[in-house]
Amino acid sequence: MNRRNGGTDGGIRARAAARLTRGIPLLAWLLGALLAAILESWFGRELADLLDLPRVPVLFGFEYALNKPQLIPATLAFLLLVYGVPLVLGARLLRAPANAIARALADRAPAVSVLVHLALVYAVLHLWTDLSDYRLIVVKITLIAVMLTLSLNVVNGYMGEFSCSHPGFMALGAYAGSLVTIVGFTKSQMFGPPLLPPALGPYLFPLALVIGGAVAAVGALAVAIPSFRTRGDYLAIISLAFTFIVKSLIENLEAVGGPRGLRGQPDWANLPVVFACTVLCVGVINQFVRSIYGLALNAVRDNEMAAEAMTINTRRTKMIAFLFAAFWAGVAGVLFAHVLRYVNPGTFGLQQLAEVLAMMYFGGLNSVVGSIVGAVSINLVSEMLRPLEIWKWVFIPLLLILVMIFRPTGLIAFREFDPLALVRPRDGGGGRGTPRGEGR
Amino acid sequence: MTVFLQNLVNALQWGSFYALIAIGYSMVYSILMLFNFAHGDVFMTGAYIGCGIALLLVGLGSAGILVLPGWLVLVLTLLLAMVVTACLGMFIERVGYRPLRDAPRASAAITGLMIGIILETGNLILLGAQRVKFPALIQPVTYELGGVFVTNQKIMIVIVALGLALALHQFIRRTRWGMAMRAMAFDYAVVPLMGVPINRIAALTFALGSGLAAAAGILFGMAYPVLDPYMGIVFGWKSFVAAILGGRGSILGATLAGFLLGFIEIFVAMVFPSTLRDFIAYSIILLILVFRPYGLFGEPYSVRLRL
Amino acid sequence: MTALLRVEHLSHAFGGLKAVSDYRLELSPGEIRGLIGPNGAGKTTVFNLITGIYRPDEGRVLLEGKDLVGLAPYEIAARGLGRTFQNMLLWRHMTVLEHVKVARWSKVRYGLGGAFFGTAARRREEAEHEAAARKCLAFFGIEDLAPQVIANLPYGAQRKVEMARALATEPRILFLDEPTAGMNPEELAQMMTMIRRLRDELGLGIFLIEHRLRVVMELCRRVQALVFGEVIAEGTPEEIRNHPRVIEAYLGKEIVA
Repeated sequence: MNRRNGGTDGGIRARAAARLTRGIPLLAWLLGALLAAILESWFGRELADLLDLPRVPVLFGFEYALNKPQLIPATLAFLLLVYGVPLVLGARLLRAPANAIARALADRAPAVSVLVHLALVYAVLHLWTDLSDYRLIVVKITLIAVMLTLSLNVVNGYMGEFSCSHPGFMALGAYAGSLVTIVGFTKSQMFGPPLLPPALGPYLFPLALVIGGAVAAVGALAVAIPSFRTRGDYLAIISLAFTFIVKSLIENLEAVGGPRGLRGQPDWANLPVVFACTVLCVGVINQFVRSIYGLALNAVRDNEMAAEAMTINTRRTKMIAFLFAAFWAGVAGVLFAHVLRYVNPGTFGLQQLAEVLAMMYFGGLNSVVGSIVGAVSINLVSEMLRPLEIWKWVFIPLLLILVMIFRPTGLIAFREFDPLALVRPRDGGGGRGTPRGEGR
Repeated sequence: MTVFLQNLVNALQWGSFYALIAIGYSMVYSILMLFNFAHGDVFMTGAYIGCGIALLLVGLGSAGILVLPGWLVLVLTLLLAMVVTACLGMFIERVGYRPLRDAPRASAAITGLMIGIILETGNLILLGAQRVKFPALIQPVTYELGGVFVTNQKIMIVIVALGLALALHQFIRRTRWGMAMRAMAFDYAVVPLMGVPINRIAALTFALGSGLAAAAGILFGMAYPVLDPYMGIVFGWKSFVAAILGGRGSILGATLAGFLLGFIEIFVAMVFPSTLRDFIAYSIILLILVFRPYGLFGEPYSVRLRL
Repeated sequence: MTALLRVEHLSHAFGGLKAVSDYRLELSPGEIRGLIGPNGAGKTTVFNLITGIYRPDEGRVLLEGKDLVGLAPYEIAARGLGRTFQNMLLWRHMTVLEHVKVARWSKVRYGLGGAFFGTAARRREEAEHEAAARKCLAFFGIEDLAPQVIANLPYGAQRKVEMARALATEPRILFLDEPTAGMNPEELAQMMTMIRRLRDELGLGIFLIEHRLRVVMELCRRVQALVFGEVIAEGTPEEIRNHPRVIEAYLGKEIVA
């Protein structure tokens, strides 16, 4: 399981924390988080008033504490009362029943166990984002970033090439998907009345997602065919040219709004849809990279000649992985367009490229968990540091440089992600999940 | 015909910027096998440094402390800015790249990107949002040759660019240091065994590349006097394309590919609506790479990714 | 008896340089043959030509009468020509088990549906492949190394992993490029036992490049000596050792054994 032992134990510091959290399964943590979310939605407002805070801290209080240091104590108190205490207490109190449930589920139906956990995660996110539209959009964009980062990792991490075409794939997906929904299901100035009854739209939205992904995958062929003929860095340059070309092409297509962009996407990318897509994306990519086809990708990366000699069709392997990654980038693009309900070609340029590259390499090469952590942390940090204004763009790059210097392959690189190990009970023994120690 | 010639002149000037920046990419790429994504922003910083030095010299002149003729100010600006920016390049190599020498190459590419962002942001923090205007150092003179207008500025830009490229070429061909650089480009792993100081060569590479980028920045500032902190991004990435198009580590290739890119862009804009410029230019480049996958002057090689 | 593998008139030039000319080979199951020759004689080029890494200018490579020339290396490998490399070419980020498992690539049946969605068929098949991989590891006595990352292993173990990896492709003929290079006497003896077992227990045809004459002498039934891309002598180890041209070209300069 464990590929490279990332680091050693933190020693005493970690031991105290370990004693408090020993034997608590993920299920109990999620229940604790749910408790915290419920508390916040019931009493958050009142507690904020009580503590003299201007409002409920939207993103853990960073949004004003960085500007008004005098509010830091009250914010900390709020965070502790609303998040910290319920989370830890809830998790600790529910430890025994949660372990029992986790064991029962893991023994009988591991898949159901994973679904239950996902449902809890969703419930927490739902309650948490219910309080503010800003939170909702941050969460949605973060989930989309997870999809982008992970699909990039398939190419840049698992396959070891340097692809710069993700903004291009995203743009293709965003525009293709938007056209499907706008032309098909909405009345717009540009395209006139809907072709199909709008009521059908939400049900056919998955179709738009698949079309967006498929268009991106077809676009990927244009990059893959020339660049996989030769080894070397030509994928980097061809994919970069591809991104320029796609952006420029869209800017010149007046039919889709040219540089002004395309607006009026229906509001179908709600939290459940985005969440479901992200889960599906993570699940499918994780399955793929753990299959023999996924291992073949690593073999191609580490030594292509040896891979060929071991019966691996390297060209086909690379092709599949690249189109697969492009597909998910396209799906992410469709969601992105429907979350913002507006796209313009300027979005899919070098800035977007730098962002997704940064998230991927920060999180870690060749690692599903790494990509999730990278996308979530960079997105959240960058939102939370908004009050720093321009200084944010000194702070985040510095952080990344430090990570690259001290962990050149990223925070959590080369680690296998096993959902079944994640949801297992933690009170020793039992469960069909991976036994303790292996999954870490 | 005159339109064609006029555009040819413009393309020569436009290509000079790409060529000078592309050389820097190409050198770093051939010697350290990595993409220096901060290079575009080094170009930008070089332009600002040059602008600062020029303003200072002009200011000294108008205050009567040190009155110099315009051309001398220009030469001094070029030299000083190149030296200062070369130091910046060495600094970037030291903090951003050297610690990552044995890391995956992509990690170094990310540090490069991030250093670039820091340079842009640092510029914004230091100078604020207002645009900086490059002082006019030489009196513009326009010559007319059969309907084609050529300014002395354009001539100078092209000559300086070509001269610098040629000087670098000679440096790499003729000197001991240049030989060490070529050896490193040839085989990174063996060179330290031969007693070539890798760190110093790497620093030298960055210094030379950054110096050329600074020259490009100053020349750019003379042609298009309004500077902005983000001007390095597009220029940088496009020159990166030119560097690869030229072929791995070929100074000559990078120079010519830089000019070629300038030509393509200018002539596409001449024939088609200028909004189609990027689309057509990059489609052409894509086609070239399909047929010459190792670039115009590159030779087939295999890269063992240090991942 | 017809040979399993028959190589006829194989020739190849790099640029103008003739690397291999008119090379012939016949190999039957259960037979170990050797190829010796000084450095740069073209031994590895012969391997690369037969296994499809280079495409020969002339000649045929017949496996059970079917010509392999022009097929991609992976296709040739999947038809039963397994190989190892002189400098091993292991995959540095992968574990031992993964090395061997991924060599089963051509045997995977579950397709992309299984790869993406973890179907029951996939789980069943992956279990089969893992079992097969562990069997290959067990053959070389390294099954307890399965979860290790390759880079952490000592040299001798890495060699075994590479052999196990080649074995996992289910070859009928195994090409071993200097399998004992850089080994100490103990590892050497082990490796020679392994090679014999591959022949005796699995009935593989084995063709090996060797530098050490002792290994060739003990293992091979017939040996070819290659100099400047040409086979200058072929025969039993005894004959080769006493062949005047071999002594001149090979032993005269490099007395290794």
